[in-house]
Amino acid sequence: MALTYDYDEQSETWPFFVLTILLMIIVPVTISHIYHLFAKSDGEAEDGNDVGSFESLSDKYTSQEIKQFRKKFDRGNNKGNILSRRNILLMIGWAFVAFLIHRINTNDAIQDSVSSLFDPYDILGISSSASEREIKSAYRKLSVKFHPDKLAKELTEQERTTMEEAYVQITKAYEALTDELTRQNFLKYGHPDGPQSTSHGIALPSFLIDSTSSPILVAIYIGSFVLLLPYVVSKWWSKTRSYTKKGIHVKSASYFVDRLVNYKPSEIVTVDLMLKWLSYAEEFKQFFPDMKPEDFEKLLHDYINRRDSGSKKLNMAKYRIVAKCHSLIHGLVDIACGFRNLEVATVALDTFKCIVQAVPKSPYSQIEQLPNVDMEVFKNGMTDKIQTVGKLFKYDDEKIGKILGIKDNDQLKETLQVAANIPQLHVLRADFVVPGETVVTPLSTPHISIKVLLRSAKHKLIPTEKFPAEMLEEPEDFEHMRDPFASMAKQPLVPYSFAPYFPTKRRNTWCCLVALQKDNKIAQTAMNIERLSFKNLSKHFDKRTVKDLESGNFNPSDWEIGTIKIPLGQQAPKETGNVFFRIVIKSTDYFGSDLDITMKMHVQDPPKVEEAEDLDIYDASDESELEDSDEEDESDSDYTDIDTDTEVEEDATDN
Amino acid sequence: MSTVSYDSNTKLISLHNTTPSNNDENDGSMLQINISQINKLTKSLVASSNIQNLTPQPSQETGKLIKNLFESGLKLTKEKKFQDALKNISLAIEMATRNRAPWEMFGMQLQELQFMLRNKIDLHLIQGHYVDALQDLDLLMNTNMLTVDVFIRRIDCLLKLGQLEEAKATADRALALHNNETKLKALLLQCNRSLAEYNGDI
Amino acid sequence: MDSDSTFNGTFNGSNNTYSNGTFFEFNEEKVETIPLSFYTPFVYAAIVVISLWIFSMYHKRDQIKKMSELASIFDEHDARDLYFEVKEMADEKKVHEKVIKAALLNRGAEAIRRSFKLKEMAPQIEVLYKNGSVGDEYWQRYQTEIKLNEVEFKETIQEAESLQSGWAQNFVVLCREICFNQALMRRYQSILKRKQVCISEWELNIANDGRLITA
Repeated sequence: MALTYDYDEQSETWPFFVLTILLMIIVPVTISHIYHLFAKSDGEAEDGNDVGSFESLSDKYTSQEIKQFRKKFDRGNNKGNILSRRNILLMIGWAFVAFLIHRINTNDAIQDSVSSLFDPYDILGISSSASEREIKSAYRKLSVKFHPDKLAKELTEQERTTMEEAYVQITKAYEALTDELTRQNFLKYGHPDGPQSTSHGIALPSFLIDSTSSPILVAIYIGSFVLLLPYVVSKWWSKTRSYTKKGIHVKSASYFVDRLVNYKPSEIVTVDLMLKWLSYAEEFKQFFPDMKPEDFEKLLHDYINRRDSGSKKLNMAKYRIVAKCHSLIHGLVDIACGFRNLEVATVALDTFKCIVQAVPKSPYSQIEQLPNVDMEVFKNGMTDKIQTVGKLFKYDDEKIGKILGIKDNDQLKETLQVAANIPQLHVLRADFVVPGETVVTPLSTPHISIKVLLRSAKHKLIPTEKFPAEMLEEPEDFEHMRDPFASMAKQPLVPYSFAPYFPTKRRNTWCCLVALQKDNKIAQTAMNIERLSFKNLSKHFDKRTVKDLESGNFNPSDWEIGTIKIPLGQQAPKETGNVFFRIVIKSTDYFGSDLDITMKMHVQDPPKVEEAEDLDIYDASDESELEDSDEEDESDSDYTDIDTDTEVEEDATDN
Repeated sequence: MSTVSYDSNTKLISLHNTTPSNNDENDGSMLQINISQINKLTKSLVASSNIQNLTPQPSQETGKLIKNLFESGLKLTKEKKFQDALKNISLAIEMATRNRAPWEMFGMQLQELQFMLRNKIDLHLIQGHYVDALQDLDLLMNTNMLTVDVFIRRIDCLLKLGQLEEAKATADRALALHNNETKLKALLLQCNRSLAEYNGDI
Repeated sequence: MDSDSTFNGTFNGSNNTYSNGTFFEFNEEKVETIPLSFYTPFVYAAIVVISLWIFSMYHKRDQIKKMSELASIFDEHDARDLYFEVKEMADEKKVHEKVIKAALLNRGAEAIRRSFKLKEMAPQIEVLYKNGSVGDEYWQRYQTEIKLNEVEFKETIQEAESLQSGWAQNFVVLCREICFNQALMRRYQSILKRKQVCISEWELNIANDGRLITA
């Protein structure tokens, strides 16, 4: 068996070769592309959070410039574009595939080789699923026809040889299907006679390997493997290496760490300081190599104060760097958490709010984030000190218009709608939960479970007691114990924020910081909440009209209770006792949306299971233990429950 | 290369184009701070008698001077002359920061400062200087003086300054560290009430 | 098949090194024997090894240069710079011995402050590095900084010894106290600035004597 290597003179094999490679690339890409196309449109439906009108409102207040910016840079928008680069490449690829298939079909040489395959069924003239009987009978019939002895005498030599060959084929075919040995051969080698001469080919036409083009080919090989491949890989590798896991450039991260290490007590942490740090980000330098950090700082300040930067180029630059601030600030918060610095993390998140809403940090930021507000009128005309949206809603709509200096009725309506849709969190219950246990035992792994009521500033505050305990309970099933955080993932995605000044469309996130009260330092990395139901915002429970809960038709089951679960980075301590935590949950987009609570982790020994006669006593004491821990965990009801006070006050001040 | 100039009369160094007296303004840059620190060390070295054998032992004479000033301040407080009392106590603190050598025992210097600050804070509070009191209270807390009365005063200051959320956070922390203080509990209730009013929830 | 015989032909050429059948030799329809000497593979190997060695030398030199150019973790070391400046001045004009000692004590205190800071940072930087929030470059800088700081402190003690023999031990004790006291003083001195920031951030109305004016 001579091993010869033929080149593909007749174009028999190279089409298959190229076709395979092409399909290998194109088919997965097409599938993923189509999937994304459809998945995206599904995701947009935003299961549950219907605030479509809010989004359109935000769009309404977005300036033309920002819309232009989005068109240019927002990649998400280009998915639906028929003429996008990806689509064109895919279409070219498929066209080539079609061309190749056509080529294969019309290629004689290939057809020939196909036909030279040995097909016993075809020779015997029977279908491929014929039974043994049919095979035998077909053979007999044909062998009668073609047997050399039975042939007519008038046939020419040539005809005779053809008939003989045919007879040989038929015999072979029959044997291939029945005789064991032959059958083995057929299965193994595709021919009953055993291994044929196989020709090995190289699926490239010879002109490529010719003496004239072979240097070129070698050059191409060397170029691609020795030069291009290492270059591409090293470029990709250095690109991966130069970004941290949080998505910011390594140099930016180093700069933030530098600032935190060299932080002096005389340098008070303010929003301005954060902006100063941000202006040294490496990403900005890469976007605009000819600008300096001072320039970036100026742009950021311009942006927050809603000033025009002078030229169109500068304005576009401003939007570009502001859009980048999202990942930069998350990176900064992450580093601050690493350094356990609560102050820097909270101010960084406040800076985030300032950037998203383009509002400087001041005691009046909550009001300034609303649209159409005339701050001059507001500050000068204030009789009753109003700094929160909640307090604003104590006045009727017309009065609010006067306070905020909004003369136009439609504008006032829109402002009120925005104000009413800013989410505020109210804690109903906060515990440390160890799945499967009732109490927190030493060295267990508890997580924090907070039940919140997401409400509007317009709503009357509903005290915790009004919600029956069952609504605040976690289901005790197995699914839950296996993965307690799954229930969080079932909540719908937070809808798009009202942030008309921010260059891109964005969703609000709540960033959860966990600190120890003992030293007031952060204990673990920050966690971002991206899913909460905003359904309650559409409820009508206006504090101005609802005097008390009974008359207001309050039905607890109408209200959606959100769950926030925060895993703890460490186990419960070895000794029993109390550990106090401070949980700070800050919103990235809205002022007035934050939470700051203290939680007590009561580490105790697991309740003992005693014998029957002592059962009564232990039951009672167990229950009281549980009750105690429940009470204590339930946001320290003794002294933080606003509600008991307000009810008392209301009664006292009624009429 | 040289950024500092030396004055052989006063034996102090300073940045070019400034005089030693300007340095104490402390514009905050680390270079400026270091220069002031060196000058202070020089002064203390000059003032100390036994430079061959310096010890962290706190100096008796300075201690006496400080004590005198401080006690005169206390006396004035009793006489209800708050402004003068504040002046004296501030002077006592100034003397401590100026005249004590930087190598005198840290623990002792810290305690001395903390003790005097507490009286200063009370004087500030009586006269309604909430911001000053707050700054001094923050210093006490930063140096790990986390006693109940420090917390009580801080919560009170923050409430008066209108920083309700910060006040509540302080109250939470105070109660976490001192579980059963009734005054703290009452303050927390007050914080919550104020916050509810601030948020329009009442 | 034609190519068969030619194929065999090339293999039989004498002095042919056994090559793994590159495309060159198979496809040539004219027989081309490339005369190669016996030492070819050795020469080839030698070239590869030598070039790799040279490359690694350059690369290492590059790396070392880069490492030494890495910035320190801390901002400028003013204490150290000032000490050397004062010392230089002492050569030119008459500087009192006490000033030099003061500068040295300041430098020692700063070294102690940095070593404390580095120790405090250790678990935090480790966590950040492991989580990938911080790059390799910073980790290297941190490691280098620890060593450099140790060296710096030792040098300072030696200088102290040279200024006044036998002072070394006492010097360290003094520096410790100075370090803490200086930190306290810096914090105390920042009170005025903090007060100003507070007033502006919270938009407070303060009278001249410090009283709060409520609107």
